[in-house]
Amino acid sequence: MTTEELQLRRAASSSLFSLLNLTALPIIGFLMLLLIYKKTESDTLDRYYAMLGIKTNLVAAAALLLVTTLMILLGGFESVWTWVYVISYFVFVHAMFILFATWTMVRSWTGKKLTKSFLSK
Amino acid sequence: MKYESQGIAKMYFIAAIGLFVGQILFGVTMGLQYVMGDFLFPEIPFNVARMVHTNLLIVWLLFGFMGSAYYLIPEEAERELFSPILAKVMFWIFLVAGALTILGYLLVPYARLAELTMNDLLPTMGREFLEQPTITKIGIVIVALAFIFNIGMTVLTGRKTVINLVLLTGLVGLAVFFLFSFYNPDNIVLDKYFWWFVVHLWVEGVWELIMASLLAYVLIKVTGVDREVIEKWLYIIIAMALISGLVGTGHHFFWIGTPGYWQWLGSIFSALEPIPFFMMTLFAFNVVNKRRRDHPNKAAVLWALGTAVMAFLGAGVWGFLHTLAPVNFYTHGTQITAAHGHMAFYGAYVMVVLTMISYSMPLMRGQKAANETAQKLEIRSFWTMTLSMVAITLLLTGAGIMQVYLQRYSADPLPFMVVQDELATFYWLREVAGITFLIGLFMYIYSFFVKGKEVEDVE
Repeated sequence: MTTEELQLRRAASSSLFSLLNLTALPIIGFLMLLLIYKKTESDTLDRYYAMLGIKTNLVAAAALLLVTTLMILLGGFESVWTWVYVISYFVFVHAMFILFATWTMVRSWTGKKLTKSFLSK
Repeated sequence: MKYESQGIAKMYFIAAIGLFVGQILFGVTMGLQYVMGDFLFPEIPFNVARMVHTNLLIVWLLFGFMGSAYYLIPEEAERELFSPILAKVMFWIFLVAGALTILGYLLVPYARLAELTMNDLLPTMGREFLEQPTITKIGIVIVALAFIFNIGMTVLTGRKTVINLVLLTGLVGLAVFFLFSFYNPDNIVLDKYFWWFVVHLWVEGVWELIMASLLAYVLIKVTGVDREVIEKWLYIIIAMALISGLVGTGHHFFWIGTPGYWQWLGSIFSALEPIPFFMMTLFAFNVVNKRRRDHPNKAAVLWALGTAVMAFLGAGVWGFLHTLAPVNFYTHGTQITAAHGHMAFYGAYVMVVLTMISYSMPLMRGQKAANETAQKLEIRSFWTMTLSMVAITLLLTGAGIMQVYLQRYSADPLPFMVVQDELATFYWLREVAGITFLIGLFMYIYSFFVKGKEVEDVE
C-alpha cells in the first residue's frame, strides 16, 4: 500500500469514527480518533481528517453536553420549559452534527478537504 | 425531453401544485383555529379543515408521483408511453373525482355525504386519512390500475433498469396496500390494525421505494455519476427500507389493544427505520461530491440534496425521537407526532416531487434549466419553505414536550383542553411559520413565470 493510499484510508477511518462517536459508539469513537491522530504526520490528509474529527467532536460535546447541562442547571429539573428547550435543542443540534460528520466522511472518501461552499469541488 | 409522451407529466405537475396551494391554505386556516376556535365556524369547522388538509396532501402527492412516473418511465424504458391517451383520460377522471370529493367535504355534512354516496352498501368512510366516500375509493382504484397498466406495459415492453423496476414495484405496492381501505371490520382494534396497512405501509414502506427511485433518477441526470454506482446504492436503500419498515408497522400498534409483543417488534424494527433515510443522505452527498458535471439546473441539485437531508431529519430523527415503546407511552398522539408528520412528509415526499418538477419542468418547456433569475427565486423559495418547515417542526416539538409534561407526566395532570390553552404561544408562532411557508410556495410558483438571462449549458 502506498503512503497516499494509507493516508486516504486513515482519513476515511477518522471521519467514520467521528461519525460513530456522534452516534453509535460515543467515547470509543473518540479514543479511536486519538489513536489514528497519533499515527499521522503534520500537513497530511489523514492528519487533517483526524484533527477535524477531534475538533468536531469536542465542539459537539460542548454544544450538546455542556449547553444542555447548563440549561438544566439554570432552568431547574422540575420546570417544563427546561425540557422543552433541552429536548428540542439536543435533537436538532445533534442531528446537525451528524449531518456535518456525514458530509466530511463523504469528502474524505475522495481525498478532498472541506471547502467553504457546499457545492464547490 | 427525449420522448414526446413525457410531456404528459406537465398537466399532472400543474394539478399537483394547485392542490398543494389548497393544502397549505387549509393548513394555515387550521393553524388559526388552534388559537381562535371559532374562526370560520360553522362554515369550515376544524374537523373538515383537517380532513381537507390531509386529503389534499395525499391527492397532490399522488398526482406528483404519477407525473414523475410519466416523465421518468419513457426515458428509462427508452420508448414512448404505452398509451398517452389513457394517461390524459385518467388525469381528468382523477382531478374531477378529487375536486368533487373535496367539495363534498366542504359543502355537505359528512354523515349526509356518506348517505348520498351510498356508503352503507360498502362502508369504508369515517377513518382518518381514508375519509373518501367509497365511490371515490373505487375511482382511485380504477385510476391506479389504469396508471399501473400504462406504466407497467411501458416498462415491460421497453428497457428495464433498476430505477424503473423499483419505481414500478413502489407504485404497485401503493395500489395493493390501498385495497386495505376497503376492509372495515366492526372490531375497532382490528380496524386500526389494518388501517395502518394503508397508512404506514405507504409512507414507511412502498413510498420510500418511489422516493428513492425518483431521487436516483434526478441524481444520475444532474451529476453524471455512473448508473451502476447509483443502482448499487438503490438496492441497499430499498432493502433497508423494507427490512425496517414492514415490521416497523408495529410502532403503530402500541396501546391500541394489540398483543404486547408488538412493543418489542415495533421498537426494535422502527429504531432501524432511520437507516435507509441516513443512507439516502449518504448516497446523495456521495454522488454530488463525485459529480462529473455542473448541471445548469442548480435548483434541482439543491432540491435533491434537500430531499435527502430533510427526509433524514423528519422521517429518521424525528421518527426515532418517539418510536421506542417506553417513550411512546407518553408521546403517543401528541404534538410530537404532528411535528414528525409535518417534517417527514415535507422532507421525504413533498420535496422529492418538487425535485422532479424542478428538474423536468424546464425540459418540458424546451429549456435545459430555468433562467438565472427564476432559479434564484426558486432557490429562495426552497430556503423559505424549508426553514419554515424546520420552524414548524421545532415549535410543534416544543408544544408536544409541554403537552406530554402537563397532560401525562406531571404528578397533577391537566385536562386536554386546559393544556391546549397553555400551548397557545407555540401555536401562534407555528401559524407565523405556516404563513411564511405559504409565501415560499407562492415564490416557488412565481419562479415559473419570471423572465431572465438563459443559463449556459455547462454539461
